[in-house]
Amino acid sequence: SGELYCSLPNPRNVHFESINMKNVLHWSAPEGTGDGVLYKVKYAVYGVGKWIRKPECRNINRTWCDLSSETSDYEEQYYASVKAFLNGTCSVWMETTRFNPLTDTKIDPPMISVSSTDKSISIILTAPEKWKRSPEEESISLLQVYPGLQYNVSVLNKKTKKRWFFSINNNTLVVPWLEPGTVYCVSAQIHVTTPVLDSSFSKEHCIATLKDK
Amino acid sequence: GACRVSMSMTEIRAGFTAIKANIQSRDPIRTLSILSHPQSLHKVKSSDRCCITHHLFTFYVDKVFKHCRTEDSFVNRKISSIANSFLSARRKLGQCREQNNCVCGEESTEKFKQILANYEGLNVTSAAMKSLGELDILLDWMEKSR
Repeated sequence: SGELYCSLPNPRNVHFESINMKNVLHWSAPEGTGDGVLYKVKYAVYGVGKWIRKPECRNINRTWCDLSSETSDYEEQYYASVKAFLNGTCSVWMETTRFNPLTDTKIDPPMISVSSTDKSISIILTAPEKWKRSPEEESISLLQVYPGLQYNVSVLNKKTKKRWFFSINNNTLVVPWLEPGTVYCVSAQIHVTTPVLDSSFSKEHCIATLKDK
Repeated sequence: GACRVSMSMTEIRAGFTAIKANIQSRDPIRTLSILSHPQSLHKVKSSDRCCITHHLFTFYVDKVFKHCRTEDSFVNRKISSIANSFLSARRKLGQCREQNNCVCGEESTEKFKQILANYEGLNVTSAAMKSLGELDILLDWMEKSR
């Protein structure tokens, strides 16, 4: 189809924002354009010779487009591109840098479950799951995606303010020799050694050890 | 016996991550890949992994790093640091091959021929820069198959 002469300013900062491999394309509206700008989106698998249009993101006025489904194979890398239209004119296609879902995603903190006895607390950690198309689809833990995944765990004695740090590969930790009847707060972070990926620390989970028998 | 080569993946990763955007921006060709198409590294049988790895280290040392000089001294330093890591890993893999612990099957030979064909389909500088920009494809595959 004959392309219009494209004199509209370009969409800016076209980039992927990815969390647990939910990969959403974001951009900013062209400079100086008010309302009424519409956009088209296409994407390509790096090394494969064709751009593919995203129908659900055709003639949209929002400045994001969820490409998680199209970029779910993390053994591939991708490019995406956006074109703007307004009053019969258009911009040129503006591309992302090469997107590698494996290294360019952010990871959520782990989920924590804590239980206690009088002198110890037990911590069970669960890594987040990779984004999936629907609840029925099989879940893939990020543990399966990143063989080098570890947990950094922080345990704080609320009374003395003393804090311990642990780095563990498996998902359970028992902290012994604690004081009975004392509140301890646990927070944890995911650390992938290579590629280097660190989640933020989870919010604190506090629990009291049982009082002395 | 198995062929185990230790190398600092974290250091190589960090070095590549620091220059990835710079290097990949020098490769305008979206429709061709040296390593991942038409057949992905991830499809290589485990028995052929050692041989392919040795082939690829040789490929990067002999055909890639030396053709990737840039005008940016920071980028050049990172490239030579990665190159040195590859050089020592290749030497160790070479010893494995001499001890017959790194056998080359038909599949790895075919796969490597395809990589060379992809490389030779471009002029040397473009092919070398594209290969360097695909280092994370190699590292991802190596880490996954550790």
